[in-house]
Amino acid sequence: MPTLLVIPTGIGCAVGGFAGDALPAARLLAAASGCLITHPNVMNGAALYWSDPRIHYVEGSSLDRFAAGDLFLQPVRQQRVGLLLDAGIEPELRQRHLQVADGCRATLGLNIGPVVTTDVPLEVSLSLGASGVSWGQLRRPDALLRAGEQLKAAGATAIAVVARFPDDPESEALAAYRQGSGVDALAGAEAVISHLLSRELGLPCAHAPALSPLPLDPDLDPRAAGEELGFTFLPCVLVGLSRAPSLLPADAPASAGASPLAIDAVGAVIAPAAALGGAAVLACAERGIPVIAVDNPCLLNVTAEALGLEVIPAVSYSEAAGLVLALREGIAPAALRRPLPPLSSRP
Amino acid sequence: MSLGELLPVLLQLERRPGSLRAQVESALLRFGEPLRWAITAVDQSADGGSLLQIEAVVIGAIDPMCSEA
Repeated sequence: MPTLLVIPTGIGCAVGGFAGDALPAARLLAAASGCLITHPNVMNGAALYWSDPRIHYVEGSSLDRFAAGDLFLQPVRQQRVGLLLDAGIEPELRQRHLQVADGCRATLGLNIGPVVTTDVPLEVSLSLGASGVSWGQLRRPDALLRAGEQLKAAGATAIAVVARFPDDPESEALAAYRQGSGVDALAGAEAVISHLLSRELGLPCAHAPALSPLPLDPDLDPRAAGEELGFTFLPCVLVGLSRAPSLLPADAPASAGASPLAIDAVGAVIAPAAALGGAAVLACAERGIPVIAVDNPCLLNVTAEALGLEVIPAVSYSEAAGLVLALREGIAPAALRRPLPPLSSRP
Repeated sequence: MSLGELLPVLLQLERRPGSLRAQVESALLRFGEPLRWAITAVDQSADGGSLLQIEAVVIGAIDPMCSEA
């Protein structure tokens, strides 16, 4: 039963607000559903990753369009992943990223290339929204798109983009994040970059930030540790994109081969109970797809009650997996709860 | 490919009956093409209505005076 898992980026979720720390939940939900569609924030653990043919890696804006019925997902054996590098990356850091790409070719057998560098630095900046969630900007989106178009013209079927992010090793927000509280300050700008590229080019895209290495933190939270194992955040992006489904416009003529995945086939969407106000979840709710709202504390308080949505509550992703299994097997979730009120007859 | 600026938007929106998603996207279109958005707070008013806080990034329109011919 195809199932969507959404854990919005940059809102400080206890599960999924750090370095791919929702991956165990995603693996469990993939096993329960047999087919999980989720996004890079869930799957990306920098140097750590997990590849599972039951998990479809779909960038956030494409996930929104899939949920709205504007896109179909076409599973593929392998994507050719073009590498887009920000001209603002220093030579040594750039070399580190190229070596990661080469390592993924040599050790994992991924099809990577070509490599294109933007004609000017992208000039990424970070910010926080009124609610405290992370947002960000890039001053030169035109340069990002020019480089993306070059990669597409050269045969890339997916794009991994690496932008130079501002270093701020002394910031209190970074210290809090590394110690397991607060929001991922990079996440909002990362989402803007990958949303823009994927939306304009129609290709699977994902982003890794280029940053200088941080000094050792003896109090590092395990959920943030995946980002401190290497010099780059790129391996998970290359692995995720290497088998990401292709994006087919819903109004494009049908092609031969396996049928693509459409939103009509989705049997459930799972999201944090206090972060239900995103495009994908609302689109699913409007289609009548069951929404499983998981207790996963975050900065927001946009609940089912506040939005007037009907949801199936779950106290954990373990319970959500049980609910997915129930839906998959045709068992009404209400039958699993007590008390079970009697049916009332209509007058 | 021509592209406008990326603009942050903070918006308060009174909820009306009908599709919530369509209301948000329609309200954002006044500022540009929505790229990424979320409802980040909901306040209940005394009359039982809801006031939504939307945070977004939109692609602003290119100023026609500045665009290439």
